[in-house]
Amino acid sequence: MSDPDTETSVAGAPAPRGALDISIEFSLNGEKQNCRIDSNAVLLDVLRENLGCRGVRGSCERGVCGACTVLVDDVPVASCSTFAFAVDGASVETVEGLAAADGTLSPQQRAFAECGGYQCGFCTSGMLMLTTGLLRREPRPDRGTIRDWISSNTCRCTGYEMIMESVERAAELTAAQDGDRV
Amino acid sequence: MRATVDGSGIVAQSQSALAPFRLYRPESVAEVKAVLAADPEAVIGAGCSDLVARIREGCAPRALVSLRTVAGLAAITHDAGVLRLGSMVTHHEGATSPIVAAAIPGLAAAWSRIATVRIRYTGTVGGNLMARRYRYEMPLLLGALDARLSISDGRTLGTGELWTDDTTALLTDIAVSTADLVWFGYERSMRPTTTVAVAIRRGEDATLSVHATAGSEYRRGISMRADTQVGTAADIDPARTASVLAAQLPADIADYTGSAEYRRHLVGVLARRLLCAAAVATHHREDEPHE
Ligand SMILES: Cc1cc2nc3c(=O)[nH]c(=O)nc-3n(C[C@H](O)[C@H](O)[C@H](O)COP(=O)(O)OP(=O)(O)OC[C@H]3O[C@@H](n4cnc5c(N)ncnc54)[C@H](O)[C@@H]3O)c2cc1C
Ligand code: FES
Ligand code: FES
Repeated sequence: MSDPDTETSVAGAPAPRGALDISIEFSLNGEKQNCRIDSNAVLLDVLRENLGCRGVRGSCERGVCGACTVLVDDVPVASCSTFAFAVDGASVETVEGLAAADGTLSPQQRAFAECGGYQCGFCTSGMLMLTTGLLRREPRPDRGTIRDWISSNTCRCTGYEMIMESVERAAELTAAQDGDRV
Repeated sequence: MRATVDGSGIVAQSQSALAPFRLYRPESVAEVKAVLAADPEAVIGAGCSDLVARIREGCAPRALVSLRTVAGLAAITHDAGVLRLGSMVTHHEGATSPIVAAAIPGLAAAWSRIATVRIRYTGTVGGNLMARRYRYEMPLLLGALDARLSISDGRTLGTGELWTDDTTALLTDIAVSTADLVWFGYERSMRPTTTVAVAIRRGEDATLSVHATAGSEYRRGISMRADTQVGTAADIDPARTASVLAAQLPADIADYTGSAEYRRHLVGVLARRLLCAAAVATHHREDEPHE
């Protein structure tokens, strides 16, 4: 077993000890983190309460609304519905990691600001992380692909058209930043 | 919701209100079996997308055995006319696998429409089946395909048996025979009211039989079957066969979303639509079985 608090076991051996709390190590926005967590802790709570990432929002806590979306090893996951033990050894990215150290906004953030991709802003951090995950996978997504991805996040305010435009603009700005002039 | 279980309202409590559970992180199937034998309270967790929802609904596992680090449960193979899916294959992996797409194109297409992008990366085929929730679609897809589920206690089960067999043992993999499979398709345009999956198989006498399942958000899937006297999908009479299938629905088929009559009508329409699609799709290859 990978947990130092449990004993390795094979069939027929004495009962393995399960752990009530465990140590996990993961990278958060590029920085190594070591945390001791309760076995039942969810990633959303660890990020917000233990590590101060208040951009990670909780709303439905059922994996439905997308407010809590973060990237784990490059793919979008619902941090409300992910046990924190599952990110042991993984790379986690939140909205706090998007802007450069000097405060320069990322292409996704600039695109959402330019195109009015938010109103109250509650859904925006999840939308930005979803956009980041999508553009890493598909740098030039078509409208159907954008709709497929964005349909997994709920926005109560915008009507989605400006979010669609923001994602398209983010693709242009990312390509331009990467030297692939549009 | 836990708050509802407590009788204290409908607002979800924080996860931290739950007692921590004993966590096991085994690395092999043998270790999983040892944990399950030694700690009968242990609940299996795969992607945990359903399990977390269940915990927030009030389920309070005292021990959880995570499959995340168990080796060998995420393979997809297609050999000797059998497509084999490891229980830890995620929806994303299944839907984008070239092996699945080549073996049963209709399964890959249906799989790609399950859930949302976040859940597709996390949720697994095994979790979808073993959650035993009527609204989940893998029991329907794999039910129509007559899939066999290998359980770590040595048994194999059909997907329909999951509703009556309450095993908490490990599902290791799922096998679907493709040797006699002519076509498979799935209609979910009327979800949540009614969905229909159809598999067309060739019998030993070379005539075709239609195996179907009908599902809805609130009722367990129902299996139906119609044997035909014809040898190509294009020769199946879609209207007649669809009505033979729909007639097999039980009398008490009604649920929150529709009367029995309406649901029977929908099953007929969706099955007919699928059989028409099968005729078009198999037209050029004279119903060669999938190899
Ligand atoms: C927002 C949202 C949308 C969704 N939309 C759809 C949809 O459109 N269609 C659909 O079909 N589903 C849908 N789902 C359900 C989703 O597909 C399931 O949550 C997922 O497949 C469960 O897989 P998991 O690995 O996360 O399971 P877990 O949560 O890890 O496990 C679920 C159950 O199965 C048991 N289990 C898991 N693996 C095994 C195993 N190998 N052996 C024995 N028992 C096991 C667990 O003990 C648990 O009881 C949706 C879910 C969400 C949150
Ligand atoms: S809070 Fe996680 S998806 Fe809604
Ligand atoms: S901007 Fe208000 S929820 Fe999306």
